[in-house]
Amino acid sequence: MHELDLSRLQSELLRSGVAPRHVRRTVDELNDHYEDLVEQALSEGLDNRSARCGAMARLGEVEDIAQAVRAQPELRSWAFRFPRVAAVVYPLTFVMLLPAAPVFIGAAHANYLARWAVCLFLSGVVTAAMFLMLQMAITLT
Amino acid sequence: MAQSNPPFMSGVPELLLLRLLDQSEMYGYELVRSIRAATGEAISLGEGVIYPVLHSLERNGSLKSKRKAVSGRTRVYYSLTGKGRQRLGKLQDDWRRIQGGIANALEVPSHA
Repeated sequence: MHELDLSRLQSELLRSGVAPRHVRRTVDELNDHYEDLVEQALSEGLDNRSARCGAMARLGEVEDIAQAVRAQPELRSWAFRFPRVAAVVYPLTFVMLLPAAPVFIGAAHANYLARWAVCLFLSGVVTAAMFLMLQMAITLT
Repeated sequence: MAQSNPPFMSGVPELLLLRLLDQSEMYGYELVRSIRAATGEAISLGEGVIYPVLHSLERNGSLKSKRKAVSGRTRVYYSLTGKGRQRLGKLQDDWRRIQGGIANALEVPSHA
């Protein structure tokens, strides 16, 4: 493998409770760093494969980088730093937002909601027309 | 009262990063190259491990960062804050104290 793949680092960090924004930033900066290393190696005359292998070696093992991130508690998401507070705040927030959920969902899927309302209206009109025709048939016979 | 000694190597990347950023703002790759040049390649570390240290220093207010577009790429430049300068001063004092202590210990002849 000669391409940098930081997806394992990304999932490992997220699992360890590192805040998603720090994970994204770390991965972005590592990718940039890797590209700089490759560029430098190519400019020194190395072939593409050697340049990429060398760049990966210089960047370090994924496990070492993950360990260095985990060693910085400030980079963890607040729910991992204050689990007791999160255990109270998350359920409370959920309970408070639950009644508003249909509004949010409706706003997010407004076009589906509009189609559904039109269909409901049309089916109501058809049903009413059928009842009217039935009533007229009963009256006339 | 004797001051406690910080762990020997754990503060070294932090000290070097703060020292280099005290001179000018730099991005990650540039910093690693500067560390290699400044230490005569005596300190070798996986280059990727400097990012968590940089992010942590930024989080505690010692550094600030800004994005700059340079030749078609966006780079994150780091620079030192006032708090970072204070932290650098403290780390330098700690380091000199430890260095002096070790130098003294090495000068004392060992007993058989």
